Amino acid sequence: MLNSYLTQIRMNLLLTLRNRMALFFSYIFPLIFFGAAGMGGGGGNPLQVVGMVLGLGVLGGGLMGVGMRAVQDREQNILRRFKVAPIGPGEIIVSGMVTALALQLPNIIFIVVLAHRFLGAPWPTQPGSLLIFVSLGLLAFASLGGIIAALVNSFQEGMLLTQLFYFPMLFLSGITIPILAFPLWLQTVAQFIPATYFNNGLQPILRGRETLFDNFASVGALALTAAVGTLLAVKLFRWEKEEKLRSAAKFWLLAVLGPFLVLGAWQMHAKTNIAKAKVLGRDAQRSRTALIRDARLFLGDGMVLDQASVLIKDGKIAEIYTGSAPDAKSLRADGIEAAGKTLLPGLIDVRVHLSLPGFPINDPQFYQNPDQNFDRELAAYLFSGVTAVKSADDQPDMVGRHQATIVSGERLGAELFPEGKAIDEAYDPALAALEARRAFQRGRTDLLDRALVQQVIPRQWFAQLKDAMKENARPEIIMNPLAPDVARKTLTEAYAAGRLLVVGTESGYPMVVHGPSVHRELQLWVEAGIPPAAALQGATYNAARLLHADSRIGLIRKGYDASLLLVDGNPMQDISATERISTVFFKGERVDRSSLFEQK
Amino acid sequence: MTSVIEVAGLHKAYGDFEAVRGVDFAVSEGEIFGLLGPNGAGKTTTVEILEGLRARSQGQVKVLGFDPEVSKRSLKDRIGVCLQATNLPDKLRVHEALEWFAAFYSHQADSNKLLQRLQLWDKRNEFYSKLSGGQKQRVALALALVNEPSLVFLDEPTTGLDPQVRLEIHTLIEELKAAKRTVLLTTHYIEEAERLCDRVAIIDQGKIVAMGSPRELQERVFGQSRIDVVTALPMPVDLPVFEAVAKHSLSDDCKTLVVHSTRPARTLPDLIKWIDQRGLELEDIHLKRPTLEDVFIELTGKKLRD
Repeated sequence: MLNSYLTQIRMNLLLTLRNRMALFFSYIFPLIFFGAAGMGGGGGNPLQVVGMVLGLGVLGGGLMGVGMRAVQDREQNILRRFKVAPIGPGEIIVSGMVTALALQLPNIIFIVVLAHRFLGAPWPTQPGSLLIFVSLGLLAFASLGGIIAALVNSFQEGMLLTQLFYFPMLFLSGITIPILAFPLWLQTVAQFIPATYFNNGLQPILRGRETLFDNFASVGALALTAAVGTLLAVKLFRWEKEEKLRSAAKFWLLAVLGPFLVLGAWQMHAKTNIAKAKVLGRDAQRSRTALIRDARLFLGDGMVLDQASVLIKDGKIAEIYTGSAPDAKSLRADGIEAAGKTLLPGLIDVRVHLSLPGFPINDPQFYQNPDQNFDRELAAYLFSGVTAVKSADDQPDMVGRHQATIVSGERLGAELFPEGKAIDEAYDPALAALEARRAFQRGRTDLLDRALVQQVIPRQWFAQLKDAMKENARPEIIMNPLAPDVARKTLTEAYAAGRLLVVGTESGYPMVVHGPSVHRELQLWVEAGIPPAAALQGATYNAARLLHADSRIGLIRKGYDASLLLVDGNPMQDISATERISTVFFKGERVDRSSLFEQK
Repeated sequence: MTSVIEVAGLHKAYGDFEAVRGVDFAVSEGEIFGLLGPNGAGKTTTVEILEGLRARSQGQVKVLGFDPEVSKRSLKDRIGVCLQATNLPDKLRVHEALEWFAAFYSHQADSNKLLQRLQLWDKRNEFYSKLSGGQKQRVALALALVNEPSLVFLDEPTTGLDPQVRLEIHTLIEELKAAKRTVLLTTHYIEEAERLCDRVAIIDQGKIVAMGSPRELQERVFGQSRIDVVTALPMPVDLPVFEAVAKHSLSDDCKTLVVHSTRPARTLPDLIKWIDQRGLELEDIHLKRPTLEDVFIELTGKKLRD
C-alpha cells in the first residue's frame, strides 16, 4: 500500500522532470518572471516580487499540475491501464498532490534564496509558517484542479475551466495587482476568491509580521478546501472519457468553494480584509529601498554634514555615506537626487489638540465625525513634514485607536504619541500659538496666506474662514496676558540657561493650524534670536527625547526610523526653507503627499 | 477440473438499454476461453464485470472465488488484464513501467525474466513513445503478467497488429497455456480463436448464441464441408441431384459453383465426373472445412468485422 504510493510519487516526479513543458512552467517561467520583476523594480521591493512569484507558482502548480495531468492521462488512455490494477483514485490524486508539493517546495526555497542573494530581500523570519502556509495553499488549489479534471471531458475544456479560475485568482487576489487599486465593488468581489485569502496570509507571513496562527481564518478555509476538495476529487475521479458524470456533480464544485463564500459574505460586512490589504500595501511601500544622494544632512543633534547620502531600507536608515554618493543601482535602491537640498529628521510637535480644528469653523458637520478629523489632521502633519506628534487633552481611547491605524499602516499620517510623562527641564514656548491668538482676536487673516496653510485646510472650509475670522474677532478683550516680546525674551533666556527647548505648538486652537504651525514656530524662534540649528533640534532630537522615543526617531542615524524631511535650500541659513518641502519619508515610505487627504 | 470463472444469469442494463441479457458460462483452470462477437455484442461489458470494473444488474459471478463487485481489490491483485487501446506515458522507460505496476501488487513476477520472455530485454531502457506497435503490445502483455496471475484477461490482444507480430503474440499466449494459466480472450479474429481457444462462446446482442470447442461449433452448425468449383464454360442451371449434397449455389455467370456436402469424399468424384462428361473444362476445384466465421455468419446473420 505504502509502496504503491511511494512508487507512484517517484514515477510522477520522474516523468515531470522528463517533461520539458512542465519543467519550463514550474521552474523557468517563475524565474523569468522573477528576473523581469526584479530588474523592473530596480531598488523596488524584493518581498513584493517574491510574493508575486510564489503566488504564481502555487496557483499554477496547484491548479494546473495535478488536474491537467489527470485529464491528459485520461485522454491518452493511460488511466485506463491503471484502472485494472489494484490502485484506487485516492492513491492517484493524493500522490499527485504530494508530487506537486515536492516539485514546488524546492522552487519556493530557491526563489527565497535568489531574492536574498540578488535583490537583497531579508530571510523570512517565519520559515515554518511560510512553508506550511504555502503547502496548504498548493494543496487547496491542487484539489480544485482535481475536481476540475473530473468535471471536464477534454484537455481543451480543462484548460478553459482552469484558466477561468486561474486568471481571476491571479489578478484579483492581490498577488499581482494590489486589491486597493480596484474600485470598491471589485474589492468586494475579491473577497470571494480563494486566492485572496492565500495572498492575505502569504504577504504578512513572508514579511515576518504574522504567523500561521494570526491567519487562522485563511488557514482554516484553505485546509477545509484542501480536505473537502481532495475527497471530492477522489469521489468524482474518472478513469476513462466514456465514464459519465452525474450532472449534479458540478454543484460539488460550489460546495468546495463554500468556505470562501462564507468568508466573502463575512468580509462584505466586516471589511477586515480591505484594512489588511491597506496594511499590506503600506508594508510594501515601507520596505522599498531608496538612496537619497548628495544632500546636506541636518542630523537632529545640531550636527551638519555638507554632502552625504542616506540609504533607506526596510523602513530604517540602513547606511549614511559621506562624500560622493554611491551608485543607487548597485545598492538595488531607487535613487533620489538631492543636491542643493537639506535632509532633516522628520519634524516633531510635542503638544497638539487633535479634537480641535485649528481654525474657527461654524459648520456643525465638522463636529459630527471626530475620527475623520483626527485622520485629516494627522495627514496634515505628515503633509507638512511633521512625522510625529504628541496629543494633549484628547480622549485617550480615540488617541489609542488612531495610534494603532497609523502604526499598522492602515492609514497614512504622523505617528501619534499619547499623553505621557513630560521632562521637567523641557521648555516649550509655543510662540506660534501666541501669535495666532493675537491675530484671531484682531480678526487678522494674513496668517492664512501661507502656502502650506492653504494646502492643508480643506477647500470647503477655507472659503468661509475669513468671514468667520471677522465674526469672531474680539479685539477689545485681551485674553492673553503674555506679550510677544516677553515670550521671546523668556525663550532666549531658557536657551542661554541650556534648558531643553522643544517645539510644541498647541495646534488646534484657533489659527494654530495642524501641521504648518510647526514651521511657523521655528521661524518665530529664529526671529527671537535662537540659532536655526538649535531651533531645528527643538523640533527633532529634543522633541524625541521628550517623547522618550529618541532611540528610534529625531536623529538621522543608522538603524533609526526612516522618517525624514527633504527640503529645498538650507534652513540653517533661511529657516523658512523647511516649508519648501521636496519629499517626506515616513517609516521608509516615500509619502505621496498629493493623495494624503484622499485616503478612503 | 475446478472452475476459475463462473457466470450465471448475468444481466447488465444501462438505463433502458440492456447490454447483457442473461449470460451463463464457466471457465476451467488452465483453459483458454474465447469470447467472440461483433461490436456492441456485450462482450466487453461482460469482461469488465468479471474484472471488477463494472457493477452488474443481475446474476451470479465468481472469479477466482471472489465476487468481483465485493472484493474488487483482492481480485485485481490476483488477475492480469490486457485492455484494448491503453497507453503509457511517452517518457516512461520499459523497465520503469514494469517496476511501477509491480509496486501495486502483493505478488510480483521477476521482471527481468518477464522482459526476456516477452523479447523486450533489448528495449528495456527505451522510452515507451519510441516503441513499435508490436513492442507496445508486448509491454501491455508484460504488465498483465507482472503479478504472475493465474487468470489473465486479454481483450483483443492482436487488433491492429501486422501478421508477423500477431503470430508472436499467439506464441506467447500458447506459452501461457503451457504454463497452466487460465486465459479469457476476446477477439475479432476467427483464426485467432480457432488457433488458440479451447472453447469459444459466440455472443450477439447480449446473449451467448453458441458455445463449445471451435471444432464442435463448426460441426454442430453445419456438419458439412464446402466444395468450390470453377469451370471455363457455363454450367447448366438445372444441376443433377448429387448424393449427400445439402445445398448448392451457382454464380450469375454460371461458372462458379458452391456445394455443401455432408460426405465430401463421395461428392467430390461425382462432381468431377459430371463436369468431365459435360465437357465443361474444370479450371479449379477445392474442398474447404467450414470456418468459425461461417458459423458466426450462420448464427448471427452478420459478419464479425466490416
